[in-house]
Amino acid sequence: MRGRRESAAATDAAVIESSRRQPERFAVLFDRHAPHIYRYLARRTGRQAADDLVAETFLAAFAKRDRYDLRYADARPWLYGIATNLAGQHRRDEARQYKISQAAAAEPEVPGHAERVAADVTARAMRPLLDAALATLPAGDRDVLLLIAWEELTYQEVSRALDIPVGTVRSRLNRARTKVRQVLAGTDAAATYKEITTNE
Amino acid sequence: MNDMELLRELAQETPLPAPAELDAARARLLAAIAADPAAGGFTPGVEASTYQPDPSTGQLVEPLRPPAPAPVLTAVKFMHAGAAGTAAYLIIALAYIGDIKAYHLTVLGHHLTTAQLSHLRPLIVTLVIAVGLAVIGLWLWMARANGQGRSWARILSTVLLGLATPGLTGDHGVLQVFAAWLTWLTGLVAVWLLWRPVSSAFFKQCRQAARTRQS
Repeated sequence: MRGRRESAAATDAAVIESSRRQPERFAVLFDRHAPHIYRYLARRTGRQAADDLVAETFLAAFAKRDRYDLRYADARPWLYGIATNLAGQHRRDEARQYKISQAAAAEPEVPGHAERVAADVTARAMRPLLDAALATLPAGDRDVLLLIAWEELTYQEVSRALDIPVGTVRSRLNRARTKVRQVLAGTDAAATYKEITTNE
Repeated sequence: MNDMELLRELAQETPLPAPAELDAARARLLAAIAADPAAGGFTPGVEASTYQPDPSTGQLVEPLRPPAPAPVLTAVKFMHAGAAGTAAYLIIALAYIGDIKAYHLTVLGHHLTTAQLSHLRPLIVTLVIAVGLAVIGLWLWMARANGQGRSWARILSTVLLGLATPGLTGDHGVLQVFAAWLTWLTGLVAVWLLWRPVSSAFFKQCRQAARTRQS
């Protein structure tokens, strides 16, 4: 019981350090972060691939735990970095996934207040366009954009995750956002939004 | 709504997975943890069993022997080097066996005569080859068994090193002394590596896996 409380209180770095002597401690890191890493991978590669990739991510992390820089208390960027690399190996599948999702049927709406519904409708209407925009991005730009937009990592955390300078993170993000905006503007997103909300 | 908000909105469509969805991934990680040499006697999940569910089938599978850690692998290499050194020494010994003079050999404290040596030479050659091949076989056998994590092999290797120690002293030629020390030191390094804490954890795990297989 006490051990569990200690595990819950320990930083990721402390867990990794102790796992070097007691490997079983690494399971704490899995329980802590696997759901979010899985969701990230599911978003990027689809659920089927995510099942395998989340395991691969933690196996790779476990194998590399001796090289973890213990100055960083939070291991999320490190794990996202590994997950991103593994997702990169599935990039062809990923591009296919975007194309498939463009043709996918809309999911049932989640009930909520009017603004929320309008936002949902807009997002879903935009989805094929966004998917297309994401598919056209260079891999490095897409990694940065999705880690920031989806996983809400900071620039510094993305820099750690992808092992690139913070300046590169900024420039890649700018480039990716510009391209996404261009795709959306080119298809007159505002008109789509207006049309949907008027029909409501 | 800007591009980032749209992306976040889309991301909300993917919920966090239910714990059961991560069971297969967790099982794979725990199997890797159990196979880690530093894990000692750790048994993941169900404490009473080292059997793990196969992620693809969900069936319980026989625990695999953990991969040998670096010190054990290095020890195996040293043993192979010991076998190669012994083979080289055997070839040299056979090449120079014709030069053995009667006074080089003593039987029960008595020097042999030239006639006795001539009579015994085929026997000596046979003995040298047999002993040499046996020693090479021992090196290779120990290398294989230790690489497979057999605890008895580690003990036997240590005993054999101890038995070889008296051979370091005595009235031998320079080449013999050099070869004896070289092979003995090779064995010493190998045995030292086999008794490192990481190696001990590996042998312990292999023992446990073997017990589980037997039961």
